[in-house]
Amino acid sequence: MRIRTGQAMKNNALTMEISSHEGGAEIAVLRIAGALDFSGIAMLSNFFDKITAENRSYVVVDLAGIEAICSAALGEFMGYRKRFVERGGSLVFAGLSGNIRSKLTLLGANKIFSFYQDVRGAINAYKWDYKKQSKSLTVAFPASLKLVPPVRQLAARLARQKGYSVKDAFRIETIVDEVCNNAVEHGLHGQENLVEMRVAIDKEKVDISVSNRSDPGKVAALKELIKPVTQGGGTHVGHNDKRGRGLALIRMLSNDMDVNITEHGTSVHVIKLREE
Amino acid sequence: MELTFPYTISVRLPSDLEIIPSIRKFVSEVLQVSGFSAKFAFRSEIIVDAICNNAITYGSEGGAESEVEASCVIYEDRMEIVVKDSGGTLTNIERLKDAVRRSRLGLPLSDYGPSGMGLEIVKLLSETIELNVDENNVTSIHVVRKREEVSQAS
Repeated sequence: MRIRTGQAMKNNALTMEISSHEGGAEIAVLRIAGALDFSGIAMLSNFFDKITAENRSYVVVDLAGIEAICSAALGEFMGYRKRFVERGGSLVFAGLSGNIRSKLTLLGANKIFSFYQDVRGAINAYKWDYKKQSKSLTVAFPASLKLVPPVRQLAARLARQKGYSVKDAFRIETIVDEVCNNAVEHGLHGQENLVEMRVAIDKEKVDISVSNRSDPGKVAALKELIKPVTQGGGTHVGHNDKRGRGLALIRMLSNDMDVNITEHGTSVHVIKLREE
Repeated sequence: MELTFPYTISVRLPSDLEIIPSIRKFVSEVLQVSGFSAKFAFRSEIIVDAICNNAITYGSEGGAESEVEASCVIYEDRMEIVVKDSGGTLTNIERLKDAVRRSRLGLPLSDYGPSGMGLEIVKLLSETIELNVDENNVTSIHVVRKREEVSQAS
């Protein structure tokens, strides 16, 4: 649903528009353009009444078209934000120009409101924070040990970027390194034999899946090798054991692990819960 | 287990601008482990950043649920990257087509705003830019960047 401002909603150079079809039933996007001064506050209240009447709890105020904003209007936004927070949502700003952003920052608004590059970024943040939506990324690369470091660092960076702690990110990096090294070492090699890693990350956990083509000559030995770790659940590796340390390490660092080896392919699925 | 050229790395990422820094860094690291210089890798990083930004900003009408695919083919003497979005509006596609056409003719792209600047930078740092739009408005952009030592010598 889109409610256009119409003539009655124009205040000098100020225009406002609500878009209610972006992102979901709980979200309203309020686009404001022009100069939002004291005289525009009544118009602002009118729009927030509409948003409240529609039972929307998360409001993205798109300020991409704003030229100026007065402190009284900022105070109004603070009041509305409080109300939406009480209803389990929030009010955030998106699309701020450098000039408006620095003015709002000088007024201390950055300590209260979240700023996003654009409306989509704000909606993504809502889905991440409130809906616990996951983000997934898939990488396919030739089975070469040289490519494992960039792949493991990609997973770690993704975790850091999504707010995971340095410690969690490092553990994720370690898991990806071990799983991908195993895939390269024990799977089929060559350009045509790709290793595929999929990382699905949400606010609470990281779900890592790595698959590769099995080397038929190694399948039986691999099945034997993973038995102690996958069936017994133990992580003990003897001092003289040359193999199996990687899997034991993954098991120690993760919350769930599943290995599936067939003649055609091997897949390892690991879940790591966020600790910090 | 050694790397032999050419090889392909592909990444499927969500249409989320926040992911791009991780992706461009990944491509840079892949290039460096493949024997390309840090300078080449960094400049390629700039290309990846610009075309992925465009794909997400202008070519992902499906919003956060849509995906962008980036495939990087690494040769001994060059890197070719194809970034495919999930479909943009006709206005954005026409804008992109026009920008690519202008870039081929050597015309300035400054009037396209920040996105035009991105393409201008890609043009500056690469040998070729090709654009392909299919019947579903899915756009793929193909950029070739040669190893500098080679392109300078030729």
